[in-house]
Amino acid sequence: MPHRTYNIAMVSDFFFPQPGGVESHIYQLASKLIDRGHKVIVITHAYDDRKGVRYLTNGIKVFHVPFAVIYRSATFPTVFSFFPLFRNIIIRERIQIVHGHASLSTLCQEALLHARTMGLRTVFTDHSLFGFADAASILTNKLLKFTLSDVDHVICVSNTCKENTVLRAALDPLMVSVIPNAVVSENFKPLPRPDPNSLPFVQHPLPAHPLGPNDTLTIVVISRLFYNKGTDLLIAAIPRILENHPNTRFIIAGSGPKAIELEQMIEQNVLQDKVELLGPVRHENVRDVMVRGHVYLHPSLTEAFGTVIVEAASCGLYVVCTAVGGIPEVLPSHMTVFAKPEEDDLVAATGRAIAALRANKVRTEKFHDQVKAMYSWTNVAKRTERVYQGISGDVSEAEFYGFDVNHDPHWHATRGRNFSLIDRLKRYYGCGVWAGKLFCLCVIIDYLIFVFCEWYWPRDQIDFARDWPRKKFEGDDDD
Amino acid sequence: MLTTAPYLRIRRPSPTTAEFIVSTLPPQTLPARLALGAVYLVRLQLALAVLLMMYAAQSPYYSAVPLQPLLLPSTKALATDAYANSSTSASTAAAPSPIDVLATTPIFSLAFIRQILNILLSSRLGSLLSKLANSIPPWVLIPCSVITLYFLSLRIGAEERLLVLRGLGVQTSSSGATVFSPLKTRFIPTEKIQDILINEAFRGFEVRHYLIVVVEGEEHIVVVFPRLLPRPRMVEKVWKGARECLYGRDGEDEKDGGRHREDGTV
Repeated sequence: MPHRTYNIAMVSDFFFPQPGGVESHIYQLASKLIDRGHKVIVITHAYDDRKGVRYLTNGIKVFHVPFAVIYRSATFPTVFSFFPLFRNIIIRERIQIVHGHASLSTLCQEALLHARTMGLRTVFTDHSLFGFADAASILTNKLLKFTLSDVDHVICVSNTCKENTVLRAALDPLMVSVIPNAVVSENFKPLPRPDPNSLPFVQHPLPAHPLGPNDTLTIVVISRLFYNKGTDLLIAAIPRILENHPNTRFIIAGSGPKAIELEQMIEQNVLQDKVELLGPVRHENVRDVMVRGHVYLHPSLTEAFGTVIVEAASCGLYVVCTAVGGIPEVLPSHMTVFAKPEEDDLVAATGRAIAALRANKVRTEKFHDQVKAMYSWTNVAKRTERVYQGISGDVSEAEFYGFDVNHDPHWHATRGRNFSLIDRLKRYYGCGVWAGKLFCLCVIIDYLIFVFCEWYWPRDQIDFARDWPRKKFEGDDDD
Repeated sequence: MLTTAPYLRIRRPSPTTAEFIVSTLPPQTLPARLALGAVYLVRLQLALAVLLMMYAAQSPYYSAVPLQPLLLPSTKALATDAYANSSTSASTAAAPSPIDVLATTPIFSLAFIRQILNILLSSRLGSLLSKLANSIPPWVLIPCSVITLYFLSLRIGAEERLLVLRGLGVQTSSSGATVFSPLKTRFIPTEKIQDILINEAFRGFEVRHYLIVVVEGEEHIVVVFPRLLPRPRMVEKVWKGARECLYGRDGEDEKDGGRHREDGTV
C-alpha cells in the first residue's frame, strides 16, 4: 500500500513562544510528521509579539488567531465565535485531521467540536492528569466529556494518564492509545568523559562518576515551583537531606508562587552556602544546569509523564522521583530510585541514591545511549501516524483495534462513528441529565452556524493556500 | 450589475514598465458608461434633495412662508431698483414674483442662492420635503442625512494599481472610497525596496493573501491592493510580473527562495 499522507491541523492554546512541555511536544511531533511527508499546521492564539500567520523551521505553518487570553494563556471560551475563522483555515489548508492538545485549552475543545460538525476526523492528546473531587476538576471533566463524546481517537502520554482519561471522560478504552513523550537526546548530552590516557593512573573501566570520597555531590531540581510539582515536599526534605549528608549541595532552578517559601526555608536553616537558587531557566539552558549535578530530584505530586526526568537521565543523572502518576512507567528501574510522595520516604530514597553513587554502583554514563534508544520523536510520529491511519480507515479495524473486535457484537468501532447529526446528538445526550441536553443544544447551534457559514462564505470563494513543498518519505529504517 | 468581481488588467507600455490594474469596474463600453453616468446623476439629484431637506429643516421660517421670501436689505434695494427701472411697465406693478426677483439678483451672490432655494422650496416637491423635514426631529434628521449623503457619495467600483518601473521603483495607487477623496498614491524607489512578497493574514473571519512591499527603514510594510485584496491567483501573477519587471530575468532564480517568504507582521 502506498504511504498515504495527511493534512493535519494541531490545535492548542499552548504553543511557542511560550515555553513548556505541551508546546515542545506539538512542535516536535509536527516537525517529525512533516519529515514523514505529511502537511502540518498549528492553530494557536496570538501572543504579544506573535500575530498572524507564520512559518517555523521545517515548514510548520502557525496561525496565531487573535483572541483574548484570560488565564495562564488559555483563551476565553467563546465557543462559537472561533468557528467561521476555523472553517476558513480548515478549508484553505485542505485539512483532513484535526488534532487537539491539552484538556485545559478551550481553543482545542472548540476546534474538536467544530471539526466534527464539519465532518473531519479528530484526535485528542491528553497531557495531564486530573483529580475527580474538587470543583474545578469536576467542571473540567464535564467539559472534557463533552468534547470527547464525539472524538475519533484519544492519545495519552502514559498508561496512568490513559486510565485517568478513560475514567474522566467515560471513554471506550479501545479508542485510547498511549504514545509517550520523547526527548531530543542530542540536546541532553552528558559532559564529555575524560580520555583514559590523560588520567594519572589507569582505571578499567572508567568509574561512572569520578567522585572522590570527599568530593561534594550535587542534587539538581528543575521544576516550576507550584504546589502540584511537590515544592512543599522539597522544602521539608532539603534540611533533612543536608543534615544526613553534609557533603551535598542543591541546585534549584525554576520559579513560581512557592519560591518565597523556599527562600524562607533556606534562611531559617542557614543553608545559603548549600542551596543555590537559579530562578527561571530557559529550556535550552536546562542541560547546562543538569550536567552540574549527579542526582536529579523530582518531588512532583502529580505528573502525567514527566519529560524532565527523561531529560535528566539523558544527561547522565541518577533520578530520584516520587512514584506518582505516569512516572513509574517512564524510566527503567536501574536509572531511578522511587519514593512515596511523603517527606520521610523522599529523604530515605535520596539517601539510597547518594549511597549508591558514592559506592560507584550506578553506570550513569550509559544512561544517555539507553534513553536515546528508548525515546525518539521519530518513533512518536510513527505511532501517531498509525493512529491517523486507523481513524481514516487506511488500516483495517481489526488491525487497528485488535483482532477480537469483530467478534464482539456490542462493540462499535470508532470508524462506525458517522457524522450525521442525529447520531452525534445521541452520543452527546448520554453525557448527563442536564448536561446532555445542554450539550445537544450547543451541537445544534454549532451546526446552524456551520450552515450559515456555508451560505455566507461559500466554499468555492475560499482559495486554497499553497503547500510548503512536501518532503519525500523514504520509509522506515528503524523498525 | 455595475461592478464585477475584481479582475486584473496588465498594461505594458514599454519593456521596462508594467502596470497592474485590479478593478471591479467592467470594461467601459458605451452602455456601461451611460448606465454609470445615469446612476451618478440620480445620486446627485438625491443628494441635492437631501441637502434641500436639511436646509428646510434649519430654516423653518422660510419653509413656513415659502411664498413670501424674506429679502435681505440689499436684495430689497436691488429689487426696488429693478422695480424703479421698469416702473414704466405696468405688468410688473404688482408684488414681484420670485422668478422676477431672481432675474434681477446678481448671480454669484448669497441672495441669489437663497432665492433659488426659496423657489425650490415653494415648489410641490420642495413643500413636501420641508413638511417631511419639519415632522422629523432634527437630532434624527441631521445624522441620517449626513449618513445618506456619505453613502450617496461612495464611488461605484474601485480600482487599484501597481506601476512598476525598472530602475526607478514601484508606485501603488488606490482610488478613494468616496468621489471626493483623492487618489492615494505612494511611490517607493528601487533602492528602498527590500522585497516584494506574498503573505497571509487574518482579516475579519477570514485569512487572506496579500501582496506586500517591504520598505527599508520603515516599521510598517506597504500593502498593495489594500482595498480589493484580490484572490491569490491574481496576486501571484502580479507578484511574478512585478519581480520580473523590477529585477529583470535574473529575478527568476530567486523565485523558489522568494516565494512565500513570510514575515507575519501586518
